[in-house]
Amino acid sequence: MRLCIIVVFSSVVFGQEPLLPLLKQQCGGCHTGAQAEGGLSMDSMEALRKGGKHGPALTPGAGGASLLVQHMTGEKTPRMPLGSPPVVAGMVEAVRAAIDSMPATPTVAKKDAHFEWLLRVPTAGALPPTNRAGWIKNPIDAFVLASLEKQGMTPSGEASRRTLLRRIYFDLVGVPPTPEETRAFEADQDPKAYDKAVDRLLADPRYGERWGRHWLDLVRYAESDGFAIDGERPTAWRYRDYVIRALNRDKPYNVFVQEQIAGDEYRGKNAAGAGDRLVALGFLRFAPWEADANSKKQLRQDLLNDITGTVGSVFLGITTGCAQCHDHKYDPIPQKDYYRLQAFFAGTAIADLPVAFDEVERPKEMKRRLRQHEDAAEAAEVELAGLREGLKKHYMALMKVGPADEGLKKFLGKLNTRNLFFLEQDLPLVKEPEWREPLKTYFAVRDGMQREVELARRFQASAYAVRDVAPPAAPEVPDTYVLSGGDLAARGEKVDAGFLTCVTGESKPAEIPFAGGSNGRRLALAEWITSEKNPLTARVMVNRLWQGHWGEGLVRTPSDFGKNGDAPSHPELLDWLAAEFVAKNWSLKAMHRLMLTSATYRQASVHPEQEQYAAKDPTNRMLWRMNWQRLDAEALRDSILAVSGRLNPTMGGPPVMFSVPDDIAQGFEFFKWFPSSDEEQRRRSVYLIQRRSVLLPMAETFDAPNLSTSCARRLTTIVAPQALTLLNGTLTRTEAGHLAERVAGTADPVGEAFWRVLGRAPTAAERAQGEKLAAQGTVGLASLGAVLFNLNEFLFVE
Amino acid sequence: MDRRQFLFGLSSAALSQLEAGTHHAAKADACIFLAMLGGVSQIDTFDPKPKLTELNGKIMDWSKEKKTDQPNLFAKPRKFVASPFQFQKYGKCGREVSELLPETARWVDELAICRSVQSDNGNHPAAVFQMNTGFIIPGNPSVGAWVTYGLGTANKNLPSFVAMPDYRSIPFSGAQQWGSGYLPAEYQGTVLRAGSEPIRDLVSPKDVPAGLLEAEREALRGMNGAFGVLRADNPELRARMDSYELAYRMQLEVPRVLSIDAEPAAVKEAYGLNDPVTASFGRRCLMARKLVEAGVRFVEIFTPSQSWDAHGDIKKNHEKNARETDKPIAALLADLKQRGMLERTLVVNMGEFGRTPDTPAEQETPGRDHNTRCQSMWFAGGGMKGGSMIGTTDEIGHKAVENVYHMHDVHATILHQMGLNDLRLTYYFGGRNRRLTDLGGRVIKELVA
Repeated sequence: MRLCIIVVFSSVVFGQEPLLPLLKQQCGGCHTGAQAEGGLSMDSMEALRKGGKHGPALTPGAGGASLLVQHMTGEKTPRMPLGSPPVVAGMVEAVRAAIDSMPATPTVAKKDAHFEWLLRVPTAGALPPTNRAGWIKNPIDAFVLASLEKQGMTPSGEASRRTLLRRIYFDLVGVPPTPEETRAFEADQDPKAYDKAVDRLLADPRYGERWGRHWLDLVRYAESDGFAIDGERPTAWRYRDYVIRALNRDKPYNVFVQEQIAGDEYRGKNAAGAGDRLVALGFLRFAPWEADANSKKQLRQDLLNDITGTVGSVFLGITTGCAQCHDHKYDPIPQKDYYRLQAFFAGTAIADLPVAFDEVERPKEMKRRLRQHEDAAEAAEVELAGLREGLKKHYMALMKVGPADEGLKKFLGKLNTRNLFFLEQDLPLVKEPEWREPLKTYFAVRDGMQREVELARRFQASAYAVRDVAPPAAPEVPDTYVLSGGDLAARGEKVDAGFLTCVTGESKPAEIPFAGGSNGRRLALAEWITSEKNPLTARVMVNRLWQGHWGEGLVRTPSDFGKNGDAPSHPELLDWLAAEFVAKNWSLKAMHRLMLTSATYRQASVHPEQEQYAAKDPTNRMLWRMNWQRLDAEALRDSILAVSGRLNPTMGGPPVMFSVPDDIAQGFEFFKWFPSSDEEQRRRSVYLIQRRSVLLPMAETFDAPNLSTSCARRLTTIVAPQALTLLNGTLTRTEAGHLAERVAGTADPVGEAFWRVLGRAPTAAERAQGEKLAAQGTVGLASLGAVLFNLNEFLFVE
Repeated sequence: MDRRQFLFGLSSAALSQLEAGTHHAAKADACIFLAMLGGVSQIDTFDPKPKLTELNGKIMDWSKEKKTDQPNLFAKPRKFVASPFQFQKYGKCGREVSELLPETARWVDELAICRSVQSDNGNHPAAVFQMNTGFIIPGNPSVGAWVTYGLGTANKNLPSFVAMPDYRSIPFSGAQQWGSGYLPAEYQGTVLRAGSEPIRDLVSPKDVPAGLLEAEREALRGMNGAFGVLRADNPELRARMDSYELAYRMQLEVPRVLSIDAEPAAVKEAYGLNDPVTASFGRRCLMARKLVEAGVRFVEIFTPSQSWDAHGDIKKNHEKNARETDKPIAALLADLKQRGMLERTLVVNMGEFGRTPDTPAEQETPGRDHNTRCQSMWFAGGGMKGGSMIGTTDEIGHKAVENVYHMHDVHATILHQMGLNDLRLTYYFGGRNRRLTDLGGRVIKELVA
């Protein structure tokens, strides 16, 4: 059989019939038709020449260099056919020979159009001509309209005023407008009413809370280490507040980035904000941290790897992390560049820096709370010592041992470190009833003490930051080596800190601006990233802003602008926006304003030609209407609290501990869970503790990020547990009850409930259903509230 | 698309990513993963080492072991520890099993044992992450999430992936151990707990009368329906309405499926529900069987975090943990077998690593420390070869020397039995196609029927 096949192969010539059917037979299971794996189809010679996402499957005249052959031999992974035995002996040789015999096409040094574009500094090109100039409100619209017209399409009409107002509220501040705000806006005859509303919301401090959360997603912000111990990062919250403040003050993005990478090496002598600049360094520390790791060297390397990957994807939209073990498979990032980038951080060490509270951080209040909790902890400690003495005596009496007994020492040791469950596991005798109560009291006091200690730590005037271990503090900055396969033990070439060669076109070491208390490497990197000449930074950020407003970016893979990412739907628009962003001194608010006041943004989410357009462009890449967006977990929770009238608007400060079921609170070995007061728990979601091992269950159900890696875009899933949470969960039911109380005394409770939640009056049918519920009294009104919280209209922003 | 209609949930992202379905014919429709947290000693269960009896108490020379992942542990002199447990041959296959697991031992003819599974990190949290997600760092999808992503769900009223931690001490990093990582949230494990509310928020609020709840449902259907009429092109609106119908069905179905009360007394007794020692693990084993019966694809049961972590006293620790789990596990195997479900249900039993043949010399009561170089784990049912065994460790049971396998290989095997090819089960994230097995695992072919 095998011999027979070889015979067949030896006579094949590519392009003639015999080989194709065999390739189809061997590979056609996956590589066929429009949905072929990797885009590579074996259906025709044409398809093979065209190839898949890795390029042409064959290079005429060069069998050995052809992907088809390389994957069959296993020279390139994965070996094909995937997961099956190798192809029969002889087939590879036959294919290679056949390709060799094809006339070679002259190869021109192929330029990669995508990177040609991406690595060119974006400029604001001329606005394209359009036919419907009347529709255009600002240059964004010219680009969008031109591309629509090219497709013979028209934009949809403008959304209703109510829809527009809700849209900008959810977009900019993350809660819906009040009925009063909606009514006033609908009645406002001023042609500038919409623009004024945008300006008002951009100036609203809730803007920083809403957009701060987007940024926190991106920088894998968490207030604990992750891993087993998951130790709290008690002052990490200052970074969260820094972000919110920076956004509210419209801190220029270039400065914002510089502070997070190199706040300690900042050039300006501006004393104001010096503390903020150290707090900003928290960005470099948010990686998960295995506090009890066996290898400290590996731990350091893990941190450096995280930073190298995160800096690349967050600021540059380049998946530098892919080049940790080998050259990037798709983008022009050699492995060496990964380590050259990493070398900027070679001197960086984790550090908690003393940083006094800024005036806006309420220093007096912080000091007072610090004292209060320290005192309480001290008092508890005294009480605990007494209880401990009692337990000690009890043990000695029971076991009839003296104070020097080894068993006693062990017992006392366990009182310090274990919880009741473990104590019972170690020492079954404590299950006896006479032990139970004293031990319960003991652990309760111990937990109380721990709670105060933990609370006190959060009020310390300290920044969760980094510093450089550099001359003169250390003899020199540690060398950086290329690590083969990313393995610390496999040191390769030594490298200097340097920028991405694909951007600079050269591979010489970066110039380090100064050497002082710090070594200046990070500043060099920060200045390069935020240079007007950097082709990536501005594009990546304006695309993130676009995503924040449209749900999808112009590039739909916001942290991956590389070859494997999504190609931009409107490259000229993206370039124009990037150039404008730099021209507007990197002002985020200026860009928000531009986007929100465009006619493109103000479109309705339905279009008269819906069916036809959706068939042509199902995901609305052409922007022929506004996208739907489902509220994310935080906006949903905040909005429910807002409409029930119970949202606690207090800004900033240490994290809020939400309530978790008792068994979860007790189940952790290394920490206890102490919920904040009810009033505190009604604050905005951005202030809830971001503990890696205990996510807010409701947020987890509604697609919150896992806090371990950078999250550039939330997924939107629709699953039954979300329905259960919103139908039966405490949040819904409690707040629905409060909403009921709020509207019960009004002239038209049902109408008022609709206005509060949906910003409109009920339809006749809705009113009938609402009244039916309300007829049951307050409990019925609460049911109506619960129904409204569950409506698609409430969760989806049109 | 039709197939996705049956899904527990649905997201547009997921729709475009993958048509759920097998890569090859599946041998198992469901998997029950028994996670023995803390790490079970191979030497005291399935991998007898008579040599240790001879060496017992002698000081071990670790100076030649250059590359240990736990330098602190080996910085001081250590002495060999013989197993305190007697071994005996069981079953037609004549497999040696220690007296620690008398009940499981009666099922050796159904077990496919691998004694040579290695992993990458000797720290509990990292190792537990690897056992559950393939990687030693957080952020990756769990095995159950991958399976659900690959296969979709086989039932209409229940989650596809259920996790049952022991709430006396939950696994490190909690929900991340059954999380969906970078996969859409619909693939994450749903926690089932003992008690009146097995799934969070499953039960309608008690203070709302039943009639009013029905009126709420009606109003919700009516208003969502009217809203959707003019916006029929948005599939998510429809999907969300469907998810409510599913939620209502779950409210009826889940308590029924999970009700243990109606089980015959003999079954309760077999699973050890009448004994406080075995009740916790036993109840969850019984629930696992019922869930699988109802079409749940992946069930993971955890012992308490670090429960098998026998540093201080191997005998006491392992006896305690074996008492809690051995009988329920045997009952689960028996129950599955008796119902004809074992054939299509893959049972996996393992910890995050094995244990050392020695203990610090200074320690009075002998214990065993973490060992990433070998552990004995087993599969049962689901197309595995009952009574088979693979993998050999050195004479002291310190490391696997023949037919060495890795945690990735266990995962590849699980996927393979469930009809999935670990190389082809990918999800594009962070610039590349990700896999449960990273660069790929090897199916443990010797154990596959």
